[in-house]
Amino acid sequence: MSGRRLPAQTGESLDRGQPLEFRFDGHSYQGFAGDTVASALTAAGVNVVSRSFKYHRPRGLLCCAGHCPNCLVQIGDEPSVRSCKRALEAGMDVQPQNAWPSLDNDLLSLTEAASRFMPVGFYYKTFHRPRLLWPAFEHVLRNAAGLGVIDENTPEGDYDKQYLHADVVVVGGGPAGVSAAVAAVDEGARVLLIDENPELGGHLRYSRPDAVAHARIVDGQQRLLQSGGTILNDTAVVGWYEDHWLSAVRGNRLFKIRAGAVVVASGAFETPSVFAGNDHPGIMLGTAVQRLLHLYGVVPGHRAVVVTANDTGWAVAADLLAAGVNVAAVADERPQLPVGTDIEALQAAGVTLLPGSTIAAARGKSGVEEVTLVAVDGSSGSHVVRCDFVALSTTWVPSAELAYMAGARSCYDDELAEMRLDNLPDGLFLAGRVAGPCSAEQEWLQGARAGAAAAGNTDDLPIAASQDVQATARSSALVAAPDVGGDKRFVCLCEDVTDVDIETAIAEGFDRIELLKRYSTVGMGPCQGRMCGLNGIRLCAQGTGKSVQDTGRTTGRPPVTPVALGVLAGQKMEPVQLSAVHDWHVDQGARMMVAGLWMRPEHYGDAAAEVRAMRQTVGLIDVSPLGKLQLTGPGVAAMLERLYVNNWQDLRRGRVRYGIMCNDEGVVLDDGVCARLSDEQWYVSTTSTGASGALEWMEWWRQSGWGDGVHITDLTETHAAFNLAGPQSRALLQTQTDRDLSNDRFPYMRARRADVAGVPCLLLRIGFTGELGYEIHCPAGYGRYLWQRLIDAGADFGLRPFGVEAQRVLRLEKAHFIVGQDTDALTDPISADAAWAVHLDKDCDFLGRRALTRIATDGPRQRLVGFRTGRRADSLLEGLQIVQSDDRGKPQIIGWVSSCRFSPTLQETIGLCWLPAALAERSEATFHIHVDGRLEPARVHHGPFYDAEGARLRG
Amino acid sequence: MSLKLLRQGLGGRPPRMWHDRPLKDHYDVVIIGGGAHGLACAYYLAADHGITNVAVIDKSYIGAGGSGRNTAIIRSNYLTPEGVQFYDASVKLYEGLAQELDFNVMFSQRGHLTLAHNDSSVRTMRRRAEVNKLQGVDSRLVYPDELARICPQLDLSDHPRFPIQAALYHPPGGIIRHDAVVWGYARGADQRGVDIHQYTEVTGIDVANGAVTGVRTTRGNVSAGIVLSATAGWASNVAAMVDLPLPLDTFPLQACVTEPLKPILDVVVVSGSLHVYVSQSDRGELVMGASIDPFTSYSVGGSLDFLEGLAGHVLELFPFLSKARILRQWAGLCEMPPDFSPLMGITPVDNFLIDAGWGTYGFKASPICGKTMAELIATRQTPALLRPFRLSRFAEYDQVGEKGAASVGH
Ligand SMILES: Cc1cc2nc3c(=O)[nH]c(=O)nc-3n(C[C@H](O)[C@H](O)[C@H](O)COP(=O)(O)OP(=O)(O)OC[C@H]3O[C@@H](n4cnc5c(N)ncnc54)[C@H](O)[C@@H]3O)c2cc1C
Repeated sequence: MSGRRLPAQTGESLDRGQPLEFRFDGHSYQGFAGDTVASALTAAGVNVVSRSFKYHRPRGLLCCAGHCPNCLVQIGDEPSVRSCKRALEAGMDVQPQNAWPSLDNDLLSLTEAASRFMPVGFYYKTFHRPRLLWPAFEHVLRNAAGLGVIDENTPEGDYDKQYLHADVVVVGGGPAGVSAAVAAVDEGARVLLIDENPELGGHLRYSRPDAVAHARIVDGQQRLLQSGGTILNDTAVVGWYEDHWLSAVRGNRLFKIRAGAVVVASGAFETPSVFAGNDHPGIMLGTAVQRLLHLYGVVPGHRAVVVTANDTGWAVAADLLAAGVNVAAVADERPQLPVGTDIEALQAAGVTLLPGSTIAAARGKSGVEEVTLVAVDGSSGSHVVRCDFVALSTTWVPSAELAYMAGARSCYDDELAEMRLDNLPDGLFLAGRVAGPCSAEQEWLQGARAGAAAAGNTDDLPIAASQDVQATARSSALVAAPDVGGDKRFVCLCEDVTDVDIETAIAEGFDRIELLKRYSTVGMGPCQGRMCGLNGIRLCAQGTGKSVQDTGRTTGRPPVTPVALGVLAGQKMEPVQLSAVHDWHVDQGARMMVAGLWMRPEHYGDAAAEVRAMRQTVGLIDVSPLGKLQLTGPGVAAMLERLYVNNWQDLRRGRVRYGIMCNDEGVVLDDGVCARLSDEQWYVSTTSTGASGALEWMEWWRQSGWGDGVHITDLTETHAAFNLAGPQSRALLQTQTDRDLSNDRFPYMRARRADVAGVPCLLLRIGFTGELGYEIHCPAGYGRYLWQRLIDAGADFGLRPFGVEAQRVLRLEKAHFIVGQDTDALTDPISADAAWAVHLDKDCDFLGRRALTRIATDGPRQRLVGFRTGRRADSLLEGLQIVQSDDRGKPQIIGWVSSCRFSPTLQETIGLCWLPAALAERSEATFHIHVDGRLEPARVHHGPFYDAEGARLRG
Repeated sequence: MSLKLLRQGLGGRPPRMWHDRPLKDHYDVVIIGGGAHGLACAYYLAADHGITNVAVIDKSYIGAGGSGRNTAIIRSNYLTPEGVQFYDASVKLYEGLAQELDFNVMFSQRGHLTLAHNDSSVRTMRRRAEVNKLQGVDSRLVYPDELARICPQLDLSDHPRFPIQAALYHPPGGIIRHDAVVWGYARGADQRGVDIHQYTEVTGIDVANGAVTGVRTTRGNVSAGIVLSATAGWASNVAAMVDLPLPLDTFPLQACVTEPLKPILDVVVVSGSLHVYVSQSDRGELVMGASIDPFTSYSVGGSLDFLEGLAGHVLELFPFLSKARILRQWAGLCEMPPDFSPLMGITPVDNFLIDAGWGTYGFKASPICGKTMAELIATRQTPALLRPFRLSRFAEYDQVGEKGAASVGH
């Protein structure tokens, strides 16, 4: 045992009765329930937890607050876990990252020997010559980069999401936050108090126990809960988006929170100072030492040096002393030692106290062994002090990420040497240390004021910290320690960026903070600049001769702390649309295919047989995915006139017409049939995959002034639709309905209501497939029943169900185009051979008119036209290009094949293609399709390939 | 090791890559926009044509716009022959750019996969592959057995909601270090005498008798022989300074990265149906993005919706990434033209040229845009590669339709 675990501490989070075994880097260790992985490792005497990004230097705990990169470990299949925040569990397998073959002997640490030839941005200046070697260099670079390892067998896991709403959200459960929450709830607000730690208390949890302040938290927590407030512990608020939309994470759950107002009471954190060897394991922030001490009863070593620039460091030193640690020295950057009981205690113990001094260098092998303390102004000589850890309490930075995301501005306070916030957006209130130094009394008051203001009942008057508080809380104004030579002076620990790197980058022209960040990568690593942000800005200011304020800061971006993809994804909820007959299709062994959000039968085993059956006797296809819209009201015809290129006013009751919808550029958006059921009631169908888009489009125009007196109801999912088609379809359908289906009473392109098998249906006599046929629409609840009745009755007629594949062939035999397959994002109906549908002479304006008028006048450049091959040509596939040789014999693209199938009816391969208009107009003209370097001939064909006159449809 | 690094390692001071110079009263060419496009044009003006009295003016730092925000996917497997030729010429320039600029832009031709999850995308991919092949671009349709070799990490089972059916494979496609391209061009231009003015905003453009005469900036007025606007997301605002309406809508486009990870993904993977794409940078971060936000806006704050949707879709492709963490999200502005092809060249205002309409896909075109725009400026002749992308194509109903192929158009 390393003797680092202290006797039980007041307020510690450990359950010492419950020891837990775990492994790290192949060795077994023991900690207690209530430990974090990092505190258990520290107690076990482990100093080196990780290797750094670039130089693979050994790194140990620094912040103990989940900010810095130093304690990132791999736990099982989870990469880059912040071990200082992760609760220890029995049997955990913890692995160091970025070290090979082991943490103690990492081969890549040899790179540091060459570091003088690897200055900032070195990779931009080398490896590109000779060009052919770059992939090999890159391979090496890639393998050296990266930290955690992704295990390809990681299960997807269980994640979920929860919506929360509150009048006031308080972020941070320290004294200011608790006080704010209580004040807001007292004002009658719905309050949500969120804290990332397992318990409320904020800094009180790890600073020297203070019974009065602690009691106030306990009391506040009770009052909050009694008044209906909600507390979320172990929950990190990670994002602030427009309209007070917050994201927060607890374990595997993502909270999405709509807040009326937000009180940010997230405190402040310390950052390290810049001196030689400042990354040695054992060098940590004062608050980290306090956390280890008070929360986990652990000291990180036995001989400490404390460096400070304000009173926090003295508390750390005195606490260490009280815990029995040998405090070798305390250096305070301020010229005079402050007065107080802490100092007296240290003085009494004979600790070396050095005013006006700071740390300039640290040395050691796998951890700090000695440090050099020097006068801040370089005036007097230096002290070399042996120690095994260092507590740095020099510089404070407000935890203001959320406030920045919300739009607050930073404003550097030269006096305090600290960033402050101003320009707070509406609904954002600050309380406590995030707003600047304050006493215990002040933070409680500030919280109350902010909470009440957030609840909307008072104005938020900031409570200024008194002068004496400011004086004791000032951050170090030193940009970097006096240079005494020696080891590297790190600014950014995530990326191993040193002060020399920053100076070099500035000298190279990267003298704006944003450029500096991108070139030197300072602040781009896992801590997102939390540890290095202020130092980087100050160094940039120093290097460019600008003030810190004018230097500005880089934009802070969500999330505040990294969030797992699983958490963001939540439960998978990918909608699937299934027709009422879905199970039947599956039972029949249909091959199902994805069609938009729908699943549809592609075929039931033999598409060609399905085609033949339908042409010869009768077939039935489930077309439920068709968009089905009911439009009612006096304005429907007028609106359709504007949305479609066709005429509608003249469509008589009971009739059906095919229509094409274009956008204002004349591009085909959708097509389908519209039936006028009565003067003011219409039934409109759209393409299956375009259904939701078409509805949205119609709604947009309806609500934008063209929809006076129109009501649209989407029946797509409430209604099933089947197409019963083939020469026997009438005879078959007649067995199921009393409605007279004879050609006279129910001719082609008519709509009729009828009971079929007792089910109320709408029948449309239309024929996409080119045979006599009926589209049967009924409420989806009857769909399965009706389908079965038709199948049963069809047995006597040779009925065979058919799928999407057969339908594609059938429609191709009729040369009907499919929107989105034969048309693309620039296709107009005139070029697509549907000029007959376009009525440029309509009384009213309509979408696409201007463009279509122009195209009609100029004539299309390319045209959609049929082709035949006279043979079975299975190598012809959709998407192939049509070429013509240029003068030099090189194939030039002149068109492409948009549809192509072998037609079982015609016994040859046919298709639709795009050709230059002049060629397309010449029926029987031969052209060539490019197939794998070969040219396959084909001939232009005009009109349907099958039943050109349409006799079968009308009969 | 390069000589420069050796010298620097032995104590030499690296030279400044560019300088802050006073704003002159007159430049032969003023380029508004210090992104990769503007800087490339300045570079080629000087390098190819000896035109050096050139200013590149940016309201922010160089690369602050799309050039520093994009996800750096480079490819040439477009849909139209015009597009393929143009982007292919750009890829060829990129292949030699590190040597040309003596700056390693880390062009990493890792291969590019566009996944097809339904039969209509398979058809579109085949169409693209065929067009590409005929233009001499390496691009082909691959099916799951081969896909499993190219990217074994993909979930090729029928477990996902939209199982992968095929992919368009484009071996020369890849990623690049976007900032390095910006800096490399900036340094090359600066070395040849071009002035780069950062943090200088153009607030107006002077026009007399139908021709541009100069620009007004926050640091003073400058007379100019030619003004080129290479302002991407702000192009329509800048064109409005000369009363020139452009057929562009501005949308935010978002992206994000994970924490750095050890190599896990070699190729660039794009899925149009799932609106997502993923690649792994040389630093180890997974770089991911989606399609443009669903509404027009100039806000680059980013949204939670984006992250949620993206995460779900990434896990559809790579379920084992559930524990990888998103480190940072951001957004940039994209001006989308109706046909998803750029607007380049002359305008009805004499001496006012545009290089705009770059939507979500313009970074890959930076070298060729710079080169051809420089040629246009130097020779006053529109190069053949640029002709299809002229502004007047809209009035002439002669668009270059890339839209059908590009629901995620990077
Ligand atoms: C998230 C995202 C991902 C993307 N991914 C890809 C991708 O993978 N592949 C790809 O090829 N493309 C991608 N793009 C698109 C690509 O980023 C842009 O098309 C490209 O960077 C445009 O470059 P540019 O030089 O023309 O413009 P920008 O780099 O945007 O430069 C324009 C400059 O103009 C300046 N400016 C504007 N107005 C003024 C003024 N009035 N005065 C002075 N200066 C002004 C701006 O400050 C800016 O620096 C992506 C874009 C985004 C946002």
